[in-house]
Amino acid sequence: MTDAHEHLEKLMLELRRGTITIAVLSQLFTPQYGYSLVEMLEEKGITIEPGTLYPLLRRLEKQGLLASKWDTEASRPRKYYLLSQTGKEVYGLLVEEWRRIVTSLNDVIETKGVEEHGND
Amino acid sequence: MEMIDRYIYAVTKKLPQNQRQDIADEIRGLIEDMLDERIGNGKTQEKNLEDILLEIGSPRELADKYRDKKKYLIGPELYDSYMIVLKIVLITLGASIGIKFIVETVLDPLSILDYFIDMIISLVTGFPMALGWTTFGFALGEMFGDIREQDILKQTWHPSDLPELPNKKSQIKRCEPIGGIIFYAIALVFFAFSSDFFGVWVFQDGFTGVVPFLNEQTYGMYRLVIILLLGISILKECIKLVIGKWTVKLAVISTILNAISLTIILFLINQADFWNPTFMQDLVASDIVAFGSDAYDVVSKVWDQVTLWLVIILVIGLIWETIDAFLKTRKN
Repeated sequence: MTDAHEHLEKLMLELRRGTITIAVLSQLFTPQYGYSLVEMLEEKGITIEPGTLYPLLRRLEKQGLLASKWDTEASRPRKYYLLSQTGKEVYGLLVEEWRRIVTSLNDVIETKGVEEHGND
Repeated sequence: MEMIDRYIYAVTKKLPQNQRQDIADEIRGLIEDMLDERIGNGKTQEKNLEDILLEIGSPRELADKYRDKKKYLIGPELYDSYMIVLKIVLITLGASIGIKFIVETVLDPLSILDYFIDMIISLVTGFPMALGWTTFGFALGEMFGDIREQDILKQTWHPSDLPELPNKKSQIKRCEPIGGIIFYAIALVFFAFSSDFFGVWVFQDGFTGVVPFLNEQTYGMYRLVIILLLGISILKECIKLVIGKWTVKLAVISTILNAISLTIILFLINQADFWNPTFMQDLVASDIVAFGSDAYDVVSKVWDQVTLWLVIILVIGLIWETIDAFLKTRKN
């Protein structure tokens, strides 16, 4: 049992790594700073460590999907991130791809169930 | 809170210079936000901060994520020092080879073509070698420099493992190791290419020759040992430049290297055939001192004692350097 959990943990890590980008992009139609994003996603049931999110935001900015701006007026300076034009396009395409994956995966899972049933 | 500064310092020193400030500001904001959120949860601020840093992860992991796990031959932490050392080594090498050519040509203008060809050969073979060895040394430092005791002894990272912020008193001024490297590099080139000029220069209506200090017959054998000795000294200065402050680790490394140098020096100087055996006769032959004069007695005594005094000076120098290193570490 613990062995299965160990495997699960590793696989979930990979699964999350791939999907977390979509979650992050989805929240950046309005400007957000790193920690507000952590809290927003947490509320929606998606846990992301700040130590993962902050470097990710930077990487997405470097790739041109996000734009950033320092707000120095508030009590402490914060770096706000926002989807760029490219970012919005990429997000749209990603969502489409995601839906396709969900459909085909569901399909695969269902079919396998039927086959197993048939073999019994 | 000093712990925050230490954490940020530990993360950003592994990142490229141009990103450091921005990332530092961002992480500071994050830590402060997380601290604010936990105010009034019954724990002390220190404990909360510890939890937060553990949550964010070890500085190395975080820095790796920022670097996108890119692997470097020579990473940002060492890059500045690498460039400085490389410049010093190449400039010294180029200048020394140039100066050697000029000196040789002035002393013997007729053979200028030979000297010129020698110079070109030295440049062509010397530059790639210097570049290669410097790069190799720093690449080794990059590979093994990051292995810390905690990797071997325990798996988990704790905020108390954070390095101290660089302290002004124990900091090594950059000019100190740089000066050292230049000095040793010049000496290295000098001994490697032209020990024939290491002696008393005789001028009688112009330059007539050199009475060498060292035994020319055996020098070829000892040259490698001298180069090794100077190489160790350059290595020591490079490590000082990279670490940048007096730490116990640096003091220990420097003690070990000093002990090795000391052993080599003692070995070298105690070889009977190391010094020029006919030094006094050569001096008389070049009319510098007359046999039996007062000057002859003085020079002869000095020459006989030179080994002893050289050893004493070097031993005191190296021991002093070792003690000094530990004293400076204590100030930290």
